[in-house]
Amino acid sequence: MKQYIVKRLLSGIVVLFGLSVFTFLLIHLIPGDPVRIMLGQRATVEQIESLRGELGLNKPLVVQYLDYASGVLKGDLGTSLKTGRPVSTEIADRFPATAKMALASLVVAVVIGIGLGVLAAKYKDTPIDGAIMTFSTFGMSIPGFWLGLLVILVFSVHLGWFPIAGGTGLKDMVLPAFTLGTLLATALSRLTRAGMVEVLSNDYIRTARAKGMNERIVLLRHAFRNVMIPIVAVIGLELAGLLGGAVIVEQVFGWPGVGTLAIQAISSRDFPMIQGTTLFIGAVYVLVVILIDVLYALLDPRIDYTTKEGV
Amino acid sequence: MFWSRQWSVPRLELWEKIMQQKKAKYSFLMMLCIVLLGIIGPWIAPHDPTKTYYEAFMQGPSKDFWLGTDAIGRDILSRMLYGTRVTLTVALLASVMTFVAGTLIGVTCAYLGGIVDNLIMRIMDIMLALPGIVLALAIVAVLGPSQENAMIAIGISSIPAFSILIRGAALSIKQSGYVEASRSIGSSNWWIITRQFIPNISNVLIVYTTMFIGSAILGTSALGFIGLGAQPPTPEWGTMLNEGKNYLREAWWLATFPGLAITAVVFTVYLLGDALRDIFDPKS
Repeated sequence: MKQYIVKRLLSGIVVLFGLSVFTFLLIHLIPGDPVRIMLGQRATVEQIESLRGELGLNKPLVVQYLDYASGVLKGDLGTSLKTGRPVSTEIADRFPATAKMALASLVVAVVIGIGLGVLAAKYKDTPIDGAIMTFSTFGMSIPGFWLGLLVILVFSVHLGWFPIAGGTGLKDMVLPAFTLGTLLATALSRLTRAGMVEVLSNDYIRTARAKGMNERIVLLRHAFRNVMIPIVAVIGLELAGLLGGAVIVEQVFGWPGVGTLAIQAISSRDFPMIQGTTLFIGAVYVLVVILIDVLYALLDPRIDYTTKEGV
Repeated sequence: MFWSRQWSVPRLELWEKIMQQKKAKYSFLMMLCIVLLGIIGPWIAPHDPTKTYYEAFMQGPSKDFWLGTDAIGRDILSRMLYGTRVTLTVALLASVMTFVAGTLIGVTCAYLGGIVDNLIMRIMDIMLALPGIVLALAIVAVLGPSQENAMIAIGISSIPAFSILIRGAALSIKQSGYVEASRSIGSSNWWIITRQFIPNISNVLIVYTTMFIGSAILGTSALGFIGLGAQPPTPEWGTMLNEGKNYLREAWWLATFPGLAITAVVFTVYLLGDALRDIFDPKS
């Protein structure tokens, strides 16, 4: 067990290292002169040279990476070209908003997703099951940003129940959380259904039903508890994936999170900020996945972590 | 090779199977209609998609403009019909890119194993540390926003997931006796890969590729929506939604119809993918 956790952490560090190389290289992959592209056509030679010096682009590549990596380890992600503030400060300012929305969306996703999944499994191969599964495929097909536009159109513009966009209060959070949550719920409901269907075919379920046990208790205590562990794992992954999904949906609602920050940075070619947000999102994702894997191994004694390949 | 005789026989069976299963049949026919619409769209469009009708700014759906007009008086229906081609082309080319690179990487890794496999898979893991859309955004950030770059970004960003899935499928072929047998009679690597690996994972390839086309359409329109994909005045669906999002209060149709089109197409693709999976693997 200890061995597995150590191995998992080590492979996580390798991935984080690779990620830092990737974000570091972003700036070097730009076709043409990156500094000129960042500053635009009207930049003067002095401006270009000064930025080149500031970014250390005159040094050898390896030295540049080491400078970058040691900065990252100290929490220094560079300075935004647009605002002149440290990238890490900007991200720290925005992250609470993103985290808040991710958690709220997760709650929505869990309630809708698990609810529908259990229902579909209970009424397997009936029209109810069919409707839920069709709904879930449909939900997978809706672009998140369009669902966002639709709920704004209906609930803000026409019904006037919620503010259109821009705030970060509880009331502002309802629509974005609902949008993201519904999107996630679709995958979760499929997984819950699949797990429940499998568990419900077990002998002990038949025994429980045969002895006249209340169906609710059979479903929730006997069946659902056994499906919970894989579901928890997926919820963890979804939480991490939410950070990606949120990038686009934040944009619709003008939610001042890390995603909005990243997209603004791309539009204005603010490369230190692009590197910073990309690295940040990736790092959070990797850390959450590792945490889930470790928890998973701790929670479920049946998992044979000695043979599991450390990914 | 794909067109060799060994392969053409199961292909015919697949066609028959699609026609026998209701879900597969209808989603396939619907997909054909959508592709057809993409091809003939420009000819059946009632108006010029870039022409401004000065007497009709932001008009709701009417007899002349079935789905209304946008903020600068262009016909939404015509723009959407042209956009079908744009969105489908970008998504298809991106998927072809994913398919070719992903299959190559996945099969090669599974076949060779060892250090090459390990190294490439670690690189894929690193790319997977970024959610697909974030990876696509990073690539667009480097290349600059345009329709071609959006396509490249979507294509590349799906390669890691695709190649890992293909590698998994190919690994199970590697264990089989016939590969061992071929190798022992001295077949070349290339022969084994193209005649044994690829035909035997073709089912998986078809299903995954279909699913990836769906997500490529979503990705393409998402990039268009945030202004980093096809640039105006190109009538791409996501780009159209981006233009429409500022007029929610005045013109609901701007932000409705293109989204409906995206959803309908992706839904069809996913249904088809689901149906194909049922055909190939009746157990699940």
